[in-house]
Amino acid sequence: MSKPLIEIQNVTFQYPGSDVRVLNGANLIVEEGEFLAIIGGNGSGKSTICKLMNGLIPHFYVGEFEGEVISNGHITTTHDVATLSKSIGYVYQDFENQLLRPTVLDDASFVPLNYGLSDFKERGKWALQVTGLTHLANEFVWQLSGGQKHLLALAGAIAMRPKVLIVDEPVAQLDPQHAKRIYDVLRTLNEEYGMTIIVIEHHTEFIAEYCKSVALMDQGKVLWKKDVREALCSVEDLISRQIFPPQVTMAAHYLNRDTAYPITIEEAVAYFQLNLPAHTFLPESVKTENSAVLAVKNATVSYKTLQKQMKKALNNVSATFHKGDQIALVGNNGAGKSSLLKLLTGIVRPTEGSIELFGKTLKKISPEILSNDVAFVFQNAEEMFIDDSVRKEIEFYLKARKVENATALVDQILEDFDLTSLQHQDARLLSGGQQRRVSLAIGAAMRPSVVILDEPTANLDIATKNKVVLMLQRLKKHVDTIIVATHDMQLVAEWANRILVMHQGELIADDTSEVIFNQQEILNCAGLVPPQIVTLCHELNLPHCATIEVFLDCWRQVEQRGVLVGN
Amino acid sequence: METSKLLNEKFSLEYVKGELVRTAYSTEVNLLTKLDPRVLLIWYSYFAIVPWFIHSHVVLIGYLLFMIFLTYKAKVSPLILVVLGLGLLTEMGIIFLISLLFGGNFETVLPMFWLSIKLGGISLASVAVFTSLNPEKFSDALLRMGFPSAFSFSVAYGYRILPTLLEEFQQIILSYRLRGQAPSKNGIFYWRKLAYYLIVFIRSFYPLILNTAKRSRTTVEALETKGFSYAAKDSEMIKLKTGYLKLTYIDYSFMMISVLYLIIVHALHFVL
Repeated sequence: MSKPLIEIQNVTFQYPGSDVRVLNGANLIVEEGEFLAIIGGNGSGKSTICKLMNGLIPHFYVGEFEGEVISNGHITTTHDVATLSKSIGYVYQDFENQLLRPTVLDDASFVPLNYGLSDFKERGKWALQVTGLTHLANEFVWQLSGGQKHLLALAGAIAMRPKVLIVDEPVAQLDPQHAKRIYDVLRTLNEEYGMTIIVIEHHTEFIAEYCKSVALMDQGKVLWKKDVREALCSVEDLISRQIFPPQVTMAAHYLNRDTAYPITIEEAVAYFQLNLPAHTFLPESVKTENSAVLAVKNATVSYKTLQKQMKKALNNVSATFHKGDQIALVGNNGAGKSSLLKLLTGIVRPTEGSIELFGKTLKKISPEILSNDVAFVFQNAEEMFIDDSVRKEIEFYLKARKVENATALVDQILEDFDLTSLQHQDARLLSGGQQRRVSLAIGAAMRPSVVILDEPTANLDIATKNKVVLMLQRLKKHVDTIIVATHDMQLVAEWANRILVMHQGELIADDTSEVIFNQQEILNCAGLVPPQIVTLCHELNLPHCATIEVFLDCWRQVEQRGVLVGN
Repeated sequence: METSKLLNEKFSLEYVKGELVRTAYSTEVNLLTKLDPRVLLIWYSYFAIVPWFIHSHVVLIGYLLFMIFLTYKAKVSPLILVVLGLGLLTEMGIIFLISLLFGGNFETVLPMFWLSIKLGGISLASVAVFTSLNPEKFSDALLRMGFPSAFSFSVAYGYRILPTLLEEFQQIILSYRLRGQAPSKNGIFYWRKLAYYLIVFIRSFYPLILNTAKRSRTTVEALETKGFSYAAKDSEMIKLKTGYLKLTYIDYSFMMISVLYLIIVHALHFVL
């Protein structure tokens, strides 16, 4: 039947200059035609094991290597990376850096060209067609959106029609619609073209829906490899390693019924079925009206495209942000979220309309003026690092303004964000989660009234993400209002008390998550996918529950009542 | 006040970025983009080198007129032309001032005027050509003309990464602006503000270089997995890749017209 395509036997590896064994006796067999997810906590060796397969280890990273890897019939130690890569495509997590050519078609056909195949153009075109980018073939790479760039990186990797495709964290930076699109492409490649797909993934909802098997890694070893259902139902194994199974699986697990948990929303609906009478709960709208801090009034922002046409990034947007607001700004890529953030921070000026700060219309708008009250935390934390240590980054703002007691204040902030032990390191060399904490601390040190965060949880694994949510709570004590632009609906449901939905440069909704997640039109229009637990409650006719805990309480209550009534 | 606002809007960083990108990537079709890039490069190497050895005023003016015509045809960005013009004028001014120090007078302006005509012609030729060469064709032409493949790749990669760098540079400058403190007074001729922004501008390079260095690791790895080192050995690849470069009647007529024009201009030198 199926034969092993990749065999990793007892591999131990240590990066040069490090004294930790990233891989410590790892064994893994990948069969042809599999759709495998590799999961594990930070530093468990997920990326490292994937780099064994195309020989990057031990050829490119010359560390201490022991064991044997057979990849598509070749022993990796005796074949070079270029030869091995003929049958293995690799898409990096920071995929932007693997796009090497100026135009789209050229990048897609780069690999077959390098291998001297005369039909390289056709292969590139085929890859673009599979990934749905044909209409962009002649565009320049930098004109693409983030989601399109990811698809292009994928196209470049599959143009050789490799037997194996490895994708490192496919959906980390994408909105839900683009994430689904990537996975649909991967499924097509797997089912129609027989490609073996290996993904490194934190998002267990996607694993449940698309993958066939799962390998769990811990401390440089592959603990087990199981069928997807069995793997996701091993809830204890996963949670103890900070990996969170789909919300519905967790909920079923906590109710402790048996071991055959649901892993998708469809299964969950059947599993939790209560036969409750249809009941509409009136969702609660935003009601608190504290004093206004920041407001935009009828703002329109236009810009000139390369073709010298005028385009509206924002169209007549009005919103007021009050004290105590925890606002989530949601919508697809390109819906106008960034433009609104830039407007609120004075980086772009409104073509029409105005900005009010504490009820007064600003006559002059510039980043310098607004930065005294509004702090902006970039999506890419690295772009905020302008000094050579964490401490100096945080005190930069205070020093520039010669604030008294800056030292004490910085000490306090370092402690609040768990950075005291890292304060003398260069922020660029920290891990993703630590960098994010530094960027939040920089924002807090500006002692703003409003702090604006662009995608604070992008690219983080779930455990680190939960920590950022905790940090958001701590940030609250430093500021009046927090505005977060995000694709992360779990963050939205659990943290925000008000949601602004953007679509094509317009603000189409402004309410609580409860209200918005109940309005199917808005969800469809803006491409939002509510967290599983919210959808489940909706399907079961239960009241809105933002978290698993709330759901469990609610479900137990309802169940009891059902028993009492004799249902 | 109004003019400063207008200037502010016209010369925002965004505008500069847009114009540079438009120039570098030749997003618009013009007379020169239809030519084979090799023809364009050879043509350019003549007009970039030969004028240095020409002293005849008639010929220099002839060259300049030709370049002005092509610059017009190539739809060169006004920003580039303004910068070019300013550069030439200030250069002339500065050399004139220095010559005054050494006892020169208005007569010294004249040779400098002719030098500027020469420089102007060469600069316009450069702008017209590079506005019309897109990165793809440029690197393919180099490859076909026998330059090493690593070199032609670097040229194309430079074009690929330039907008990313510009974007990141802009973000870092923004970080300084958002967290630093701009001087509250403008000073005479805005010198305080200018000095402040100049320092921010210079300091922004440091983080930019560090971030780029960090990023290049994936790029180098990706080059390896994409079989680039495999291709470096392969001359078949060059034929495959640049097979589409073919001389057409447009190239021949362009060459003919250029040569004809050169003959006329040089002949005029003897007539006048």
